[in-house]
Amino acid sequence: MMDFCAGPGHPDDMQDVGENTAELLERLKRAEEALQARELNFQTLVQRAEAQLAGEKHLLEMVASGCPLSDVLTELCKFVEDTAADCQCGVYLIDERGPKFRIGAAPGLPATFNDPCEGLPVTPEAGPCGVAAGTKTQVIVRDFESEPLWESCAIRPLALAHGFRSQWSTPIYARDGRVLATFGIFQRNPASPTQVQLDLIAQVTHIASIAIERALSEAALKRSEAFLAEAQHLSRIGSFAWNAVTDEITWSEQLYRIFEFDPQTTVTLELIGTRVHPEDTPLLKDMIERARNAVSDFQYEHRLLMPDKSVKYLNLIAHGMRNEDGEVEYIGAVQDISRRQSSEEALGKARSELAHVARVMSLGALTASIAHEVNQPLSGIITNASTCMRMLEADPPNIDGARETVRRTIRDGHRAADVITRLRALFSRKEALTERLDLNEATREVIALSLSELQGNRIILRAELTNDLPLVTGDRVQLQQVILNLLRNASDAMSSVDHRPRQLLIRTKQDGNGAVRLSVQDNGVGIQPESINKLFDAFYTTKSDGMGIGLSVSRSIIETHQGSLWATPNDGPGATFSFSIPHVADAAATPDKTAHANNERAARQG
Amino acid sequence: MNTRPLISVVDDDESVRESLPDLLKEFGFDAQAFSSAADFLSSDWVGRTNCLILDVAMPGMTGPDLQRELTLRRQEIPIVFITAHRDDNVRPRLIEQGAVECLFKPFTETDLLAALNTALRVG
Repeated sequence: MMDFCAGPGHPDDMQDVGENTAELLERLKRAEEALQARELNFQTLVQRAEAQLAGEKHLLEMVASGCPLSDVLTELCKFVEDTAADCQCGVYLIDERGPKFRIGAAPGLPATFNDPCEGLPVTPEAGPCGVAAGTKTQVIVRDFESEPLWESCAIRPLALAHGFRSQWSTPIYARDGRVLATFGIFQRNPASPTQVQLDLIAQVTHIASIAIERALSEAALKRSEAFLAEAQHLSRIGSFAWNAVTDEITWSEQLYRIFEFDPQTTVTLELIGTRVHPEDTPLLKDMIERARNAVSDFQYEHRLLMPDKSVKYLNLIAHGMRNEDGEVEYIGAVQDISRRQSSEEALGKARSELAHVARVMSLGALTASIAHEVNQPLSGIITNASTCMRMLEADPPNIDGARETVRRTIRDGHRAADVITRLRALFSRKEALTERLDLNEATREVIALSLSELQGNRIILRAELTNDLPLVTGDRVQLQQVILNLLRNASDAMSSVDHRPRQLLIRTKQDGNGAVRLSVQDNGVGIQPESINKLFDAFYTTKSDGMGIGLSVSRSIIETHQGSLWATPNDGPGATFSFSIPHVADAAATPDKTAHANNERAARQG
Repeated sequence: MNTRPLISVVDDDESVRESLPDLLKEFGFDAQAFSSAADFLSSDWVGRTNCLILDVAMPGMTGPDLQRELTLRRQEIPIVFITAHRDDNVRPRLIEQGAVECLFKPFTETDLLAALNTALRVG
C-alpha cells in the first residue's frame, strides 16, 4: 500500500489536506473493498473451476482404472448435480436390441421416476431423450407445461408428477458418430441452460462417451476372450508363444489344462520336459534345437506321459518370426489329438489286417491260378495214361493208339512245365527298363510318401544323399517299391524298440565299379547271421503278420537291374539292407525329366 | 443199329478234347468232343447224346450256361461237370442244380466211369 504521509507540510494547508485525506481514505477504502470483493469473486471462480477440473479428473481416473460403468456414470451424475445446483440428472444408455433405453445411472431420481423410464423405446414418443437420440441434437424443454410439442410424450406426465418442469437432453456419441446414450437434466423451475451449464454438459457427455465406449469394447473383448477360451476348450487346442532367445513362454489357459499344470505356474522348457513322454524326449530336444537355429514353421506330433501314467497325443504347429528386438519368437497351437490318435491306431490296425488279408487273398488267388494252369495238363496226362494202359491191355494190344496217347502225355508234361516257367517269368517281371533316373530324387519321393507313417511310428529319419550321384537306368516305380519295402522293413524292425530313439538312416553313395549304392540302416531287432540268406526266400518271414514276399521280390527287382541286394548286421543294434545297381556310363548326364525341365526353363527365359 | 451210348465232351482245353474221347471209346462208348458250348448246340449230337461231360469254366457260354440252355430246350441230357478249379463250394451247387456229378481235374478213370454209369442209369 502507498505511504501518503510523506513529510511535514504548511500549517495553513493542513485543514484542506485533512479534508482531502479523509476523502481519499474513504475512496481508498471503497476501492479496497471493491477489490477485495472482486478478489473474493475471482477466488470463488477459481475454486469452482478447480473443483470442476478435479471432478472431471476424478471421473477420468475412474474410467482409466477400469471402474464399472455404472459407478462411473453414477459419480458423473452426482458431480453434475453438485456443480449445477437444483437439478437431477440421468444417463440413458441405448440398447440396440429394441432399440430401447436402459438407465445407466440416475442416482438423484426416485425409483418411481426411474422404473417407468427403464425400457422406453428410443423414439420421439419417449420424450426429449428419444428426440435427442433420433435427431442427434441437443433438445431443451424449458417448460413441459407451456410447450405443446411434448404433450403426448411418455416422460411428460412422469416429470410433472415429480415436480419437474424442465428437461434438457443431450446425445452421447461414440467416436464413429453413433448415439450411445443420452444425458438428461431435470429441473423444477422452467429454465434454459446458461453457457456455463452448456460447457459443463459438453464436458461430462464427452467423459460419459469415453466411459461407455470403453465399457462396450471391454465387454466385446471379454466376450471374444470367452469365445476363444471356449473354442480352445472344445477343440482341445491350446496356444503358446515362445521366445527362443530368452525362453520366455506364454501359455493359454487350455494349454495348462492339456498339460494339467496349475495356471499360476510359470512355464519353462524344463517343466514341459517333465511331462513329455520319455521316448519322445529326443524328438522334443531335436525340435527345440532346430527351432532355435532357424526361424521356420514346424509341426510335430509327440506324446505326454501324465502323472497318472496315461498318455496324451499332441499335435504342435508353430510359426516362427523375429520380434522387434530381432529375437526368434514362435507362436503356435497345440492340439490334444488323443482321441483322434486312438481312432487312427484302430484304423491303422484294421488297415494292416486288411493288408494281410489282401496278401493272403492274392496268394490264395495265385495258388488257385497255378492249380488251374497245372491241373489242365495233368488231367490230360492221367487220361492219356489210363487210355494207354487200356490199349496195351487189349487183345491184341492197340500199339499205335498207345503210342499216340504216350505222345500226348509227353506233350502235356511239357505243357505243365511251361506253366511253371511262365509263372516264374511273371514273378521276375522282366519288363523294358528305359528311364534314366536320379536315385536321390526317387529316394526323396519315397521319403516324402513315408514320412508321416515313419513319424507315426516315432522314427527319426536321417537322409544322407550324396550330391552329384550318377544316374542309373531302370524302372523308377520298381526301384521305389524296393526302397519303400526296405524303409517299411526297417520301421517294422524297430517297432519293439522302446528304450532308445528309433533311428533310421538312409544313405546313397557311389559304390565304385560303376555302381551306386543305397542303404537303409535301422537300430531295430537286427538279424541272426545264420538267417541272412533265408531272408530273401519267398515266404520266409520272422514277422507274425507278414508274408515275407517283399524281400524276395525286392531282390529279383534289383537283379533285373543288374544289381544286388544284401543285408548285414550292424556293429551295434539293428541291421543294414543295401542294394547296388550300375550307373549309366556318361555319369554327367542329367535325368530325362530334369533335362526336360531345364529346356522348359530355357524356353521361358528365351 | 448202334446201341453204344453216345457221350459228348465240351471243353475248351485241347488236351481234354484229345484224350478223353479215346478213353471213353476204350470204355465202350461212342464219344465226340466240342471246343465250345455253341459248337455242341449247333451240332446234330444234341438230340442223340446220352451223357454230357461238360467243363465248368469256358470262354463265352460256360458249362452252367449250357446246362440252362438245354433245360430251356427240354433236352434233358445227364451232365457230368469237370473243372480244374478245386472249389469245394462248386460241386454241391452244381449237383443241386441237376448235375449228376462234378469231377475235379485231374480225375481217375474209376471216378469217371462211376459218374458215367450213374448218368446213364438216370438217362
